[in-house]
Amino acid sequence: MVERASNQSVLTWFLQRISGILLAFFLITHLNVHHLFHDITVSGIINFAGVRENLQSSIWWKIYYIAFVPFVVFHALNGFWQIIADFRLKAGAAVFMKAIFWILGIILIVTAIMTLGNLFGGGA
Amino acid sequence: MMAKESKLQGMVRDANLNKNIGNFSYWIHRITGIGLSVYLLMHTFVLSSAISGPEAFNERMGTVQNPFFAILEVLLIAGVFMHMLNGLRITITDFFNWSRGHKILFWIAAVIFVILMIVAIKLQWPKFFIENYGMGGH
Repeated sequence: MVERASNQSVLTWFLQRISGILLAFFLITHLNVHHLFHDITVSGIINFAGVRENLQSSIWWKIYYIAFVPFVVFHALNGFWQIIADFRLKAGAAVFMKAIFWILGIILIVTAIMTLGNLFGGGA
Repeated sequence: MMAKESKLQGMVRDANLNKNIGNFSYWIHRITGIGLSVYLLMHTFVLSSAISGPEAFNERMGTVQNPFFAILEVLLIAGVFMHMLNGLRITITDFFNWSRGHKILFWIAAVIFVILMIVAIKLQWPKFFIENYGMGGH
């Protein structure tokens, strides 16, 4: 290694792996329930009422999705940032890009939480 | 004297010079990672219609539930499984200091990927036919 890793990059390297392991669990569950095992010939197409019924079937779905969203947003944006960091941006450009990523991350999380709130129903 | 090359040109040159499993999986991971991040944005956009109420949600969800999107969904699922399996391979080699085993892990991941995709396509199959979209349930 020629370069010395900063504490921040060690932390993001570690968090990327931890969030990745958690996402493996989250995504297998999410894909199975909402994509693969949704049998269109039995349940028909996905609609609002059906999604609400699924999400209201257990408190665990609320906990599951509230936990899922921050991890997936972090993993996606941090992964993207790692690719950009490889290009060794000038200091000003790096700060600018980081700011964009933070804003995008906050917008995504707020939008997702508002969406989930409406899908959960009952002021969740 | 060699002309100064961009980072991207360097990465492509490196991939050409090192046609091996490590380099291949590095590119797979980056390409699927970018694809999945873009999908996350689109997924959030489609689902966020729920904020405007059930009608808006049903209308927007209706536009993405057809055989064309079902085929795209297979690509999405392939991207998720590739990224997931390769990510777990990277994590195992990192956390257990097992870079010597990265090639065997790649082939184990490849076999699991093929099995998962056969199951996924089988489950997805009814969605490839427009006549199965007639029902209005959920």
